[in-house]
Amino acid sequence: MCGIVGYIGARKAQSVLLDCLGKLEYRGYDSCGIAVLNDGIEVRKDAVRVKALAKALAPLNGTTGIGHTRWATHGEPSKVNAHPQCDCTGRIAVVHNGVINNFQKLREQLAEEGHTLASQTDTEVIPHLIEKYYDGDFVKAVERALKDIEGSYTMIALMAGESRLVAARKDSPLIIGIGDRENFLASDVPALLDYTSRVIYLEDGDIAVVNAGGVRVKNNGSPIVREEHKILWSVEDAQKGGYEHFMLKEIHEQPRVIRDTLAEYIASAEPIADLTAAGGTGPEDLLILACGTSYHAGLVGKYIIEGLVKIPVRCEMADEFNYAGQVSARNKALVITQSGETTDALKAVKKLKEAGCEVIAITNVVGSTASRLADRTIYTRAGPEISVAATKTFLGQLIALYWLALPYARVDIRRLDELVRELRQLPVKVQQVLDNEAAIADIARQMAGYENIFFIGKGINYPVALEGALKLKEISYIHAEGYAAGELKHGPFALLGSRTPVVAVVAQDNTCEPVITSIKEIKARRSPVLVLMSEGDDDTAELADFVITVPQIDPLFSPVVNSVALQLLAYYVAKQRDCPIDFPRNLAKSVTVE
Amino acid sequence: MKQAIVLAAGEGQRLRPFTVTRPKAMLAIAAKPILQYVVESLAANGIRRIVLVVGYRKEHVFDYMGSGEPFGVEISYVTQENQLGTAHALAQAREVADDEFLVLHGDNLIEAATIADFVAVEPDAVLVKRVADPVRYGVVNIEGDEVKEIIEKPREAGSNLVNTGIYAFSREIFRFTESVLDIPDALNNMIAGGRSIRALETTGARLDVVYPWDILSLNAAVLGDMEARLGGSIEDGVSLKGQVTVGQDTVIRSGSYISGPVVIGAGCDIGPNVSILPATSIGDNVVINSFTEVKNSVICNDVTVGPGCVVNDSVIGKGCVIKGRFAAFGGQSEIRINGESPLVNVGVMMGEDCSVDNNVTAQPGTILGNYCQVRMEKVIGGRIPDRSLVY
Repeated sequence: MCGIVGYIGARKAQSVLLDCLGKLEYRGYDSCGIAVLNDGIEVRKDAVRVKALAKALAPLNGTTGIGHTRWATHGEPSKVNAHPQCDCTGRIAVVHNGVINNFQKLREQLAEEGHTLASQTDTEVIPHLIEKYYDGDFVKAVERALKDIEGSYTMIALMAGESRLVAARKDSPLIIGIGDRENFLASDVPALLDYTSRVIYLEDGDIAVVNAGGVRVKNNGSPIVREEHKILWSVEDAQKGGYEHFMLKEIHEQPRVIRDTLAEYIASAEPIADLTAAGGTGPEDLLILACGTSYHAGLVGKYIIEGLVKIPVRCEMADEFNYAGQVSARNKALVITQSGETTDALKAVKKLKEAGCEVIAITNVVGSTASRLADRTIYTRAGPEISVAATKTFLGQLIALYWLALPYARVDIRRLDELVRELRQLPVKVQQVLDNEAAIADIARQMAGYENIFFIGKGINYPVALEGALKLKEISYIHAEGYAAGELKHGPFALLGSRTPVVAVVAQDNTCEPVITSIKEIKARRSPVLVLMSEGDDDTAELADFVITVPQIDPLFSPVVNSVALQLLAYYVAKQRDCPIDFPRNLAKSVTVE
Repeated sequence: MKQAIVLAAGEGQRLRPFTVTRPKAMLAIAAKPILQYVVESLAANGIRRIVLVVGYRKEHVFDYMGSGEPFGVEISYVTQENQLGTAHALAQAREVADDEFLVLHGDNLIEAATIADFVAVEPDAVLVKRVADPVRYGVVNIEGDEVKEIIEKPREAGSNLVNTGIYAFSREIFRFTESVLDIPDALNNMIAGGRSIRALETTGARLDVVYPWDILSLNAAVLGDMEARLGGSIEDGVSLKGQVTVGQDTVIRSGSYISGPVVIGAGCDIGPNVSILPATSIGDNVVINSFTEVKNSVICNDVTVGPGCVVNDSVIGKGCVIKGRFAAFGGQSEIRINGESPLVNVGVMMGEDCSVDNNVTAQPGTILGNYCQVRMEKVIGGRIPDRSLVY
């Protein structure tokens, strides 16, 4: 998984490329590099972050170039393995995002033919293949080279003496930014927002020839016109606006995200997606597939839809489903992916489509691959999320799931009115959790010294416990595990003790009593207990060593306020431990490899 | 002058309950925070680099103003941890200040014309305004156009000119901000030290909010200048008169009568058969059910007002849920705040996230705290603290 960029125009390419790369670091940041066209091609790269590279570089003169920020898949992070990768002559440079499956075979073949491959990367075979097939036509050589490659190969190629870039998309995303007598290429929109808001999304199999004056796209050998989109995100959305970290900024954006996501749907009397079965008999069942935080949103969705619509819902991890899952053509399926580019989720969509299922995607990125593959897309209006740890997009997904289920709710009209009213009040309830930030930060400082923490919840708050643990482990590096409250006694009890605190999510529904029983059992094992509960529940508060309160709310919506409180807890624990919160080690924002 | 330092750290205690969770500068007037008017006035005068001094509940400023992009300015932030005074606030910006800069209060609403001449002035200077009752303010005594002294709330005023809290300074000011807490004291020390400070007079508006009900008069004043803009979906059978602004994704249902000046935000659901009468601002994501009348009032974001209600001369804080047949009419009442008891003509000042059951009446001048719950059939009045349960 990597970020790639390209530039051709009149500006100094070096500064444009480095600037754009900096905004793609969420995709990976173990090494980076640029190649700029001068008389020949100048390559500058290292196993450092973009800022460090920018600082180390002397200015280069060219106005055409390509860049890469890397996430190692083949070959360890090092200078030689960083992109761009070149051919034997140093006249062709390539940046690549993806995995070439047959690269060993290609490598051996190229070596036999006399090519010298210096790195351990799969990418390096591309410039050498282009070199091999070059007979005076750069574009033809790229096209021919790509025919030899099996796997995913979104890439941009640059050649000395050519005033154009050749780009190709296969599986990983690539967009073209249209400027005034200049053009840009990037893996994702935020990289380009400072320069242009006009973009073209390339599709799988597209090969684009980009020069300063225009863009030509071919697919399967024939020219094709790809529609231009206007991006409504502003540059401001990609900056920190007063906060120390993007994550905290994004946590604080959540009241607005709820309001915007609701506004998107609430004006329409129609359901946002049709859940009725193929025969038109009303919703019968639903399959939800997702990965990571989106999977936790899916799990909450299972409880929402089962509770309101009273139909069985299956929620599975996309990757597990891809290997072993069974599905019938009459299944309706919901695939949740923040970026719309997560490989495992996209594979699931393809598998579902092949089985004849109708697929609804929930994603945050307009025009993303998931939205193009699915039959229907529900967009969350969260704006770009920079922090690797997902927060506001998770909340946006929950809101979409509530609104998806409500039109089919098998509840009486009074209950429905009440639910819609409470849904509309969520921005204020979430704001109250945020306004209580100082108290949560205090507790976080006391939790930061532990190395193992359990999170428990039950019913609709079970996935909240999973998500709370995931947030904590990914940014604070504390070993955290989410468990269903009732499962703790089937094994994990052996790990409890005074150095292993438990965070218990207590809701005001039928799960309250059993969770309190679990808390008492945990207290008997001397584990410190942090209770997350509604205001005014004094009896429960007495059981706890630490208490975080959230505003009273219908239990159906409690995952929203509880998740926000646990996001703040994770943030302040990580801050206390001095972790690089926005860019945790070994993680990248959207996982575009298997 | 290319830079402005805007002081937005203060709480505004007399404005409770509305300032319990946000700084005074973030109070919404005609659906925009006061601070936004200040920033937009600066931008209109070509000042696009703005330093915001924030402190109390600063996250609310970050969340709304961000990096300034939507307002066409570039905002950076410095924090005043303890709000000790205006000179202390200004001193926090020492590291980021240009050689010359403007200083303004983020919680006084100004229009672009107010500072149009002042932005070109040579430092050091203070903007003054002529008023009828100067003894409530900082009175500026001048000779020619030079300031002799600024006296806070004097028993007797030596002139009708008062300090607007808008200054043009050079970095020299930072030599005087360490020893005092407020800017007028620093100015008096500068003058005593032999520096000359010019006074420039403005006739432009500068509106301050001191008490909660001042929100209503400012709202009415600002609404008069708004341009009409219709978004959302307006059903057949809706009457719109005068200047009416309706935001995106809002639905106005049939039979509703809206008489401007009125601003309605985005994502609202209004009607059917609702009357919204002059000088009313309604935030985003607000629901108003059938047969309700709203007049001369401010309704904040995320509020639901049930059927058959009357909301006159009132401010309803964000997230309140008001069920059916609620009544709040304006009327004369005496309200005690910080030892003062001004006589005012208002309905209810309702804090955020209150829950009001059916058939509740609020007497004129009621101040209901944040997060209160009021049960069915109650008559409420006077000052009710935060988190009260009225049974």
